Amino acid sequence: MFSKFAILLAAAAALSAQDMPLDPVKINLPADSPLMLVSENLGESHVSRRGSAVVLDLDVTLTLHNSSANRVRGVTLLVSAQEVTPGGKASVSAPSLDVAPNQNFPMRINLRLLRPAQMGGGQLVQVNLDGVLFQDFSFYGPNRLDSRRTMTAWEMEAQQDRKYFKSILAARGIDGLKQAMLESLNRQAERPRLDVQVSRGPAVGSAAVAEHNARFAFLHFPDSPVEPVEGWAEIAGNEARNPRIDVRNVTSKQVRYVEIDWIVSDRQGQRFMAGSVPASGPAFNLKAGGTSRVLQDTTLRISKDGGAPLSIAGMTGFVGQVEFADGKIWIPNRDSLANAQLLGILEPSPEEQRLMDLYRKKGPKALADELGKF
Amino acid sequence: MTHPSQTTLALYAGQDLGWFARRRTERHLAHCLECRMEVRKFASVSEELAGLNELPAIPWNRLASEMKANIRVGLAAGECVRPEPAGGLAAWVSGARALAACGGVVALLAAGLFLERPTPAPPEMASGSAVLRATADGIELNQGGQTLSLRHARSGNVTYSAGAQGSMRAGYVDADTGNVTINKLYVQ
Repeated sequence: MFSKFAILLAAAAALSAQDMPLDPVKINLPADSPLMLVSENLGESHVSRRGSAVVLDLDVTLTLHNSSANRVRGVTLLVSAQEVTPGGKASVSAPSLDVAPNQNFPMRINLRLLRPAQMGGGQLVQVNLDGVLFQDFSFYGPNRLDSRRTMTAWEMEAQQDRKYFKSILAARGIDGLKQAMLESLNRQAERPRLDVQVSRGPAVGSAAVAEHNARFAFLHFPDSPVEPVEGWAEIAGNEARNPRIDVRNVTSKQVRYVEIDWIVSDRQGQRFMAGSVPASGPAFNLKAGGTSRVLQDTTLRISKDGGAPLSIAGMTGFVGQVEFADGKIWIPNRDSLANAQLLGILEPSPEEQRLMDLYRKKGPKALADELGKF
Repeated sequence: MTHPSQTTLALYAGQDLGWFARRRTERHLAHCLECRMEVRKFASVSEELAGLNELPAIPWNRLASEMKANIRVGLAAGECVRPEPAGGLAAWVSGARALAACGGVVALLAAGLFLERPTPAPPEMASGSAVLRATADGIELNQGGQTLSLRHARSGNVTYSAGAQGSMRAGYVDADTGNVTINKLYVQ
């Protein structure tokens, strides 16, 4: 009798647990995290229906607290919605931070999910901490998205950019800084933009468009630890597929990650930044002095800003980032990029974006004060 | 589907519902994303209010007690001067009250019809590989007709870049937080 009663109780408890509603979004920070969640503000978040699909508009601002003894320079959050996009994931990063110990700072996640209404309940969106980068380049986090490398490279770019603008301020004063900022702003305003779509797996292009193998031309930087040797991609109209690039390690250290930046040009000779071709993982083995292949099974469909397909006439590549097996990272320096006339093609670094925004909103004096903090 | 009232959801968020009402609300929430979102909002507001309570400079609790006391005094005074009710059914069903009651019933019926209206057929869920692209307000991953987008709201000067390993990135200075924000979507 007692055992039957116990089973009944257990079943009721199980049913109750099954029915227990879960939040649409869940923020998970590890117990030993250097960041603490102070509050989350759901702002204008709402759910609406479109036919029999449900649209979740999530606009959440998290207030995080730096409970470590070190200044925070960058944070990456992993956002997953496995139920909606199996295999797909997202991240939201805040680079170029300068958060002192015991200070609070905001991070905003603004996303939209569209999914069938008949899918089950439960948590739609999970937010996990992927990594925190500190001022001394130490790192905390599970690093599932390789955010240690990404945020370290951003911070190295930030240091380069601040050094560049500080040197101008020292040499030419506030007027010189103003001039340099105007040049940056003009470059970004005039930077040719492309609309690029990325899809993985076998290409499904139009059979009517002739396909051919096009060869990469390469730009070489004198201090690059890895040299591109040769490379091709399949071109069909405005689609570039399956890039493969052979690279040689010219150092005495093993390399575990290489990223080749990819520029395409149209028939008028105008150059556009199309994307990057990274290589890492067990299949990519670049020993000291050795050669390996950067290879991606992917299709980029490229249109000009406004939607007109871009007829690809040429391709150029250069080494944009290298990570050695010991975790050290190399990026091209600002002089190399300027000498190769790439500054007008590449997107600005996150730090240069921040400094330009500061200049636009508060003027050259505030910018000079900001540079003086570092 | 009949949704619980905003009051019920607010009480649920504050864990102030009785056992039976709580169980009933939980059953509804298990299947209703809209109401779960409402509950989450009520809960986050309640957390923020709890934080306000801890502000050292403002004696919120003392102010609350004083306000309650003032309200009680006001109610007691109101009782003293309240005229005797006119009484009678005629006073209730006459004029504006009857009109308001009928209007309420009509609004309720209209709302019921609207909420339970036949919904159009679901949008066709295209099959095929996942595609990443930039849109007017962000970056989007579309897979089988379901989408996940990361958006940059009111922020301008957005830079986009594609990764041939299957990623799309958008970088901008967030108009509200002032932080550089880099959104990235990945497909495997």
